[in-house]
Amino acid sequence: MTGETAAGLPGVLAGSAPASNRGVTGRWFDEPEVRVEGLLKATGAARYAADIGMPGMLRADFLASPLPHARIRSLDVAAARQVPGVHAVLTGRDIGHVLFGRRLLDRPALAVDRVRFAGERVAAVAAESREAAAEAVERIEVEYEELPAILTPDDALAPGAAILHEQRDQYRYLGGQRPPVPHPNVQGRYVVTQGEADIERALAAADRVFEHVFTTPRQHQGYIEPRATLVWIDERDVVHVVTCNKSPFALRNQMAAALGLPPEQIDIDSGFIGGDFGGKGYAVEEYACYFLARRTGRPVQAVASYADELAAGNPRHQATVRLRTGVDSGGRFVAHDARVVFDGGAYASAKPLPHLALAGGASTLAAYRVPNARIEVMTVYTNTVPCGHMRSPGEVQALFAGESHIDMIAGELGFDRLEYRLRNAVRPGDTGLGGQRFREARAVPVLETLAEASGWTSWPRRPQVGRGISVGVRHVGGGKMSVQLRAGPGGRIEVLTGLPDQGGGAQTVIQRVAAATLSVAPARISVTRGTTGHAPADPGVGGSRVTHLASRATQAAADELRRLLEAIATEEFGGGRPLHLEHDRFVGDGVAVPFDEVTERIEAPGIDAVGTYDASAHGPGEPGDFDFAACLVEVSVDPATGQPTVRDAVIVADVGTIINPVAHRGQLAGGFVFGLGAALMEELRVEDGTVTSSTLGEMKLPTSADCPPLRIVHVPTRIGPGAFGAKMAGELVNALVAPAVANAVADAAGARVTSLPVTAEKIHHALQERG
Amino acid sequence: MRPFDYHEPATLAEALGLMQHHEEHARLMGGGTALMLLMSLGLVRPDHVIGLRRIPALHGISQRPDGSLELGALVTPAEAAGSPAVASYCPALQAAFGQVATVRIRNQATVGGSLAHADPAQDPAPMLLALDATVIAAGPRGERQIPLAGLFTGFFQTCLDEDEIVTSVVLPPPEQGAGAAYVKFLPRTRDDYATVGVAAWLQQDRDGRCAQARIALGSAGPVPLRAPRAERLLRGSRLEPEAISEAAAAVGEEVDPLDDARGSAGYKREMARVWTERALRLALDSATRTPPPAGAGERREHR
Repeated sequence: MTGETAAGLPGVLAGSAPASNRGVTGRWFDEPEVRVEGLLKATGAARYAADIGMPGMLRADFLASPLPHARIRSLDVAAARQVPGVHAVLTGRDIGHVLFGRRLLDRPALAVDRVRFAGERVAAVAAESREAAAEAVERIEVEYEELPAILTPDDALAPGAAILHEQRDQYRYLGGQRPPVPHPNVQGRYVVTQGEADIERALAAADRVFEHVFTTPRQHQGYIEPRATLVWIDERDVVHVVTCNKSPFALRNQMAAALGLPPEQIDIDSGFIGGDFGGKGYAVEEYACYFLARRTGRPVQAVASYADELAAGNPRHQATVRLRTGVDSGGRFVAHDARVVFDGGAYASAKPLPHLALAGGASTLAAYRVPNARIEVMTVYTNTVPCGHMRSPGEVQALFAGESHIDMIAGELGFDRLEYRLRNAVRPGDTGLGGQRFREARAVPVLETLAEASGWTSWPRRPQVGRGISVGVRHVGGGKMSVQLRAGPGGRIEVLTGLPDQGGGAQTVIQRVAAATLSVAPARISVTRGTTGHAPADPGVGGSRVTHLASRATQAAADELRRLLEAIATEEFGGGRPLHLEHDRFVGDGVAVPFDEVTERIEAPGIDAVGTYDASAHGPGEPGDFDFAACLVEVSVDPATGQPTVRDAVIVADVGTIINPVAHRGQLAGGFVFGLGAALMEELRVEDGTVTSSTLGEMKLPTSADCPPLRIVHVPTRIGPGAFGAKMAGELVNALVAPAVANAVADAAGARVTSLPVTAEKIHHALQERG
Repeated sequence: MRPFDYHEPATLAEALGLMQHHEEHARLMGGGTALMLLMSLGLVRPDHVIGLRRIPALHGISQRPDGSLELGALVTPAEAAGSPAVASYCPALQAAFGQVATVRIRNQATVGGSLAHADPAQDPAPMLLALDATVIAAGPRGERQIPLAGLFTGFFQTCLDEDEIVTSVVLPPPEQGAGAAYVKFLPRTRDDYATVGVAAWLQQDRDGRCAQARIALGSAGPVPLRAPRAERLLRGSRLEPEAISEAAAAVGEEVDPLDDARGSAGYKREMARVWTERALRLALDSATRTPPPAGAGERREHR
């Protein structure tokens, strides 16, 4: 049987896929999906962390430091404690040095004697009402001794710079040994090399060397639900945490480490999540709320204000990217040297990866063949808001630099920009800059499709209108995930998962893959998300891993359940002939037994099948799975004001089999708009170390009226690591938009902007410079 | 947000009484679009909020027999943008109301509230300034007429007394041969505050010379402001492109913008020039389409 995917592509029966792929056709995924949680969200019945209340619940509020760097001389909470309705006021002195983090535990739950960024919490209040808590916060008296603030990585690394974390050697690090850093103010660093060990030598051998420097700003993820949590401790001393965190099992381990509790004593309930975009993997208030709940014996809820989100969330890292690339006489890359420095802020606490830097930072020339390279990626401590992950972390910064750099080089050398990319694109058999071995190196077909779809060579040039392109590649994430399926009387199949759905559609992926694998109607399958105490372990949402892992774990569980059900059917109804589950019936040699009749023979509560999938089972030497994508935008520039208007856009995506066609489109189109915000307007402004964008009225996000028409073109593939050949979509296109916009502006007006966002003012300035 | 008592008086007298009673502890609310934001950010913390929407006298749009136009303080931008009276009074005014902020704000904000709030970045003020509006305010000492140009005294400050309530805005009878325009520069999003907003009003005499000119700008200083030097440069000119450019250049010198997320002061100054030039050209277009003053010979039908 041949498969048809949702994109109308030929079969997707990948060699590595399990047995149940055979016989299942893509038509399972042609139907637009009905979201598992859609009705609850559309009717307002879905209850988010901030909606959940408990009898006797207290509200938390926090006092934040107004200074970026200071010693706390004194803290007087006596008046705060007198406010009616206040049950507890805690300071860092009360709870001691409780440090937390996703990997490195370097951030205090409440500051002790010292604050390192404006917005850092110095005291926590629990009160009967938000108003009482807020009033108590106002009555806390703090005397600070202001210290010189280090506000940039350059200052942090300058000779004689003050050391921001004197006790760094005592910080705990989850999962092994913290890699060494070259300077006490460096959070993390890694170097990617390829070819010649001495990059200067390789550059010296080049025909020409181009050097450019790019900068990108901090950005808030822009999710609409601010962080919220509810913590209580039950009579068995189990700590319950309701939260909008998207990685509950990881949070359980982080809290256990920070609080000195066994993980089993903590139960994390990550319910509905009102937007994530990379920011909801980090938990902040949970720690202080634990101490407030401990002190008061009451449930304690904290809901961040949006002003607090912007001032003290975990925004995208500000970056400075310096690139040097040497080319031969034919314009081919011969050597690439990159220095990617991220301002990590006051704490490394929000960064989850072992190197405490951003993996995407090395993606400066990710889709190209570069024989010799050295890419140094670093995160640096400063007295600014601690930064974390935001959709395609590091890639947004690196790709803006790399794809602008290539355009500038192509322009200097007189090449067509698309042609120049093709000339240098990675081809089958090439290794990527980070040593990646691509299962399919598809930069060329993606670029060729973009050229064709956009009429690259036949486009009629008009004054003040330009086109820009970009190409990128991103890995499909890995990890280990388990999903449990249960079939019982009544013909229902229940899925139990520990995976939260932050809006990406993970639970619907699970339902549809289970339905396709079992060959039953999706409506039979309900998906229940369990707390960490009840559901199988799960790495959480993020890293472009969810569709891959969830689909495969589900497929494994469904294969097993199918085997169990077919055995029952054969035993009970087969009369010696084997029966197979097909389209909701068990069929065999002239027999067709309805699904429900078979499940009636199952004793309550039912039979279970657990599927576990571990992507790391693939050896490190094996080729990995990647998505390639390209973007084109058409931009007009008003020469008098510099205002750029994005008039048209094309995305070419290599995503593999599409399981949720509606969500898939949402991810690609949404990713484009997300990238458009980064390209044109989003910037968390920081002045003297303090975030001054206090509302979304100041840090603007694009509205629908600001979006151009967008065409999405797929490049079919038969290969993906997920069930039925699925790959990823969520973090594929957003990083492509900013360089495409900058390149289009340069094409339209001759104005090159090397810092994000590409604002009208910067273009105007570049036009003036050009004269 | 701190708890507060909400009052909804049914008459102006009742509202004035409440203001006198609660003094500085009370705040007036039209649509609440500005007040609620200030309160939720903790910048304003009234114990009493006096909602004006139930007072009939503050509603409605009327064209008086002399041709002047009165907008009740509680008229929303959406109402004004949809009003035939506003459209026939001045199409540019209608268009300016249609460009206020977003549809949500247009349906909820009020003309009087916006002026009393005195946000230098909000939309209707420059157009109303260019049309020479007068604000009517009621207080315990009776009614006052305040030329709009004199209302704004500083950043978010007006000459209104604490116990005064804006009741309406009056626009003078339309002039023959006049045209107006409002433009705003939105380089980030369609729903952003303007980087600069410019309203222009011009009147041509029968010889095609500029008889009167008014230019007003938003987001260009601590208050919505007029550009008197540029206006003087235009008066008596033939409104040729050079004259318009010269006046626009003068506007660039007259504004006093702030550095913020919408642009540096220097850029906004330059944009004030660019957008003033654009507004003046549109106003001139509109003026040449309306009949010249009486005695200008052949009279066209008023459209």
